[in-house]
Amino acid sequence: MPETLTLTVNGEDCTVTVPPRTQLAEVLRDHLDLTGTHLACEQGVCGACTVMMNGRPVRSCITYAHACDGAVIETIEGHRGDPVMDQLRDAFSRHHALQCGFCTPGMLATARDIVTRFDVADEATIRHELSGNLCRCTGYVGIVGAISEVIAAKGATSAPPAPARDTKPFAPFEPVETAAAPTPTAPQGSVSIEGGWTVVKRSFALSHAPDSVWQLFRDPARVAPCIPGATVESLDAESFTGAVEIRFGPIRARFGGRGSYDNDDAARAGTIRGEGDDKQGKSKVRGALRYAIAEGTTPQVSRAEVELRFEIDGMLAQFNRPELVTGFVDYILAQFAANCDAVLSGGEAGPARRLSVLGMLWSVLKARFSR
Amino acid sequence: MKPSPFEISRPVTLDAAQAALRGDDHGTKLISGGQSLGPMLNLRLARPAHLVDVTALPGLADIRETDSHVEIGAAVTHARIEDGEVPDPIAGMLRHVASGIAYRAVRNRGTIGGSLCHADPAADWVTAMTALGAVLVVRGGTGAREIPMAGFMLGAYRTAMAEDEVLTTIRIPRYSDQARWGYYKICRKVGEFADAIAAFVADPASRTCRVVFGSTGGAPFVSAELARQIATTGAVPPVETVKAVLRDSGLNLSDVKIHQLAIAHSRAVTEALSDA
Repeated sequence: MPETLTLTVNGEDCTVTVPPRTQLAEVLRDHLDLTGTHLACEQGVCGACTVMMNGRPVRSCITYAHACDGAVIETIEGHRGDPVMDQLRDAFSRHHALQCGFCTPGMLATARDIVTRFDVADEATIRHELSGNLCRCTGYVGIVGAISEVIAAKGATSAPPAPARDTKPFAPFEPVETAAAPTPTAPQGSVSIEGGWTVVKRSFALSHAPDSVWQLFRDPARVAPCIPGATVESLDAESFTGAVEIRFGPIRARFGGRGSYDNDDAARAGTIRGEGDDKQGKSKVRGALRYAIAEGTTPQVSRAEVELRFEIDGMLAQFNRPELVTGFVDYILAQFAANCDAVLSGGEAGPARRLSVLGMLWSVLKARFSR
Repeated sequence: MKPSPFEISRPVTLDAAQAALRGDDHGTKLISGGQSLGPMLNLRLARPAHLVDVTALPGLADIRETDSHVEIGAAVTHARIEDGEVPDPIAGMLRHVASGIAYRAVRNRGTIGGSLCHADPAADWVTAMTALGAVLVVRGGTGAREIPMAGFMLGAYRTAMAEDEVLTTIRIPRYSDQARWGYYKICRKVGEFADAIAAFVADPASRTCRVVFGSTGGAPFVSAELARQIATTGAVPPVETVKAVLRDSGLNLSDVKIHQLAIAHSRAVTEALSDA
């Protein structure tokens, strides 16, 4: 439902009616025709869209309309009668602090903030403070020079004194023991990238004998409910259809798809292959899960060796945080193992999530989310 | 890119916020400063149908202090902490940590509570607040409860909070003027997600010593073993000792990660123990 905002932009009162998902940058560019504010990465990294909001620089790409009601905004078109901005514009011009000019509106907003907050700043400080504004033309030399000149014109002669610190030597002491942190029980294994595929190998224990574990693993109708987030829609001797729901922090997806499975009873090993897509999120996943059940530390317990390979395309592939994969997959595997143990003990999989064969894809997906 | 369509509400009471959270299954997400969620919305990694903005809730932008604690409202921005609006529970540490988060334009909107609840393993506050022994005050349908930082983060993007709970206050114990701290993070580029974070806090007055490693891929890793060693010897542990602890942590860390964490730890503790 569109919402109506009143805000002050470059000294003028404005009223706009926009959907809640509208970015401040879009309010400025598309509704107020202030196209000097530039959009590039739209994920808060490049700094091109930086504008002043209530006297502070903000990213207008990740500031949404609802937060702007009543705000006072200054854009590159504004700053009229602002002596600091006048000095910066003049210095940017003389120092050749811009070439194509795309980053300049955001650079000037950040530069104004640096000049305001620092009475003294060396080159390293200015470069550090500028790290959130990317320029692909200048190499920053002119930008740093311009800002440096405007700060120097403030006339401060020395940096503020460093905070005093305790100069007494550190006296060793016997610490009070705090409760021991729970020991993580991550399964053993490895994570690697092979071509476009992420390959997670894991080994985990199950508290039942290999034969009964294998009877569970070889039967998709039984093992599916142990996989968090998945539902099986149809199943025959070698293929299935179903869906898997992924929840990883704010990220949600539901992948529907199909797959096949085969088992080698003699080796107590098998493979599930599948692929699916999340229509709403325009992402696809392909994956394979290989598993083998062996005797554990005693004949009454088992060790499961699993290898999960997966590849994600589309929106979700943008989440490029590979190191979060491990933790996520292990979290899913731990739930899966606990569910298997519960089912083998005559109980049911935990109430939290139903699973299916595609649930494995789910963990694939989730893992991929973390990439 | 433009986010998927969402509705947003900005409740002014906790009861209203909780009602909004309970109103819809899975499609509702809290938002504070939106500096982590915003990129996920724009990339359409996250597509919540409803957002509940917590920044207008009573007390969430407040900063309070008692004789024993400093209390920070969950919607206090990193920039306010960087600028010294929060009284020091331990000399200078909060300002130092805040000033290293992303970029100033992000710190002007991003909030400490939002960062903690988002629970990104590479974020600063989850590690720093664990080192400081902070307690989080959350308010749910059955009233308020306190969650110590040590048990708050369960994994990447997972916390001990229930779906309908709202973080209201971060309560940090005060440290004595003898307390030492160190905080070091390794980033490929200023403001990027950290590759490794190490935090160290020691206070002879309360006989407290904590060694915490962040950006491990999951929850911060707390080493009581290293804390005891440093407290009792006053010396920086050899890097190989630290690596051995990390290898035995059960965290499946890569050799590169172990090296980065050990170096960050060494630098943090060296800084904390130096008398200069």
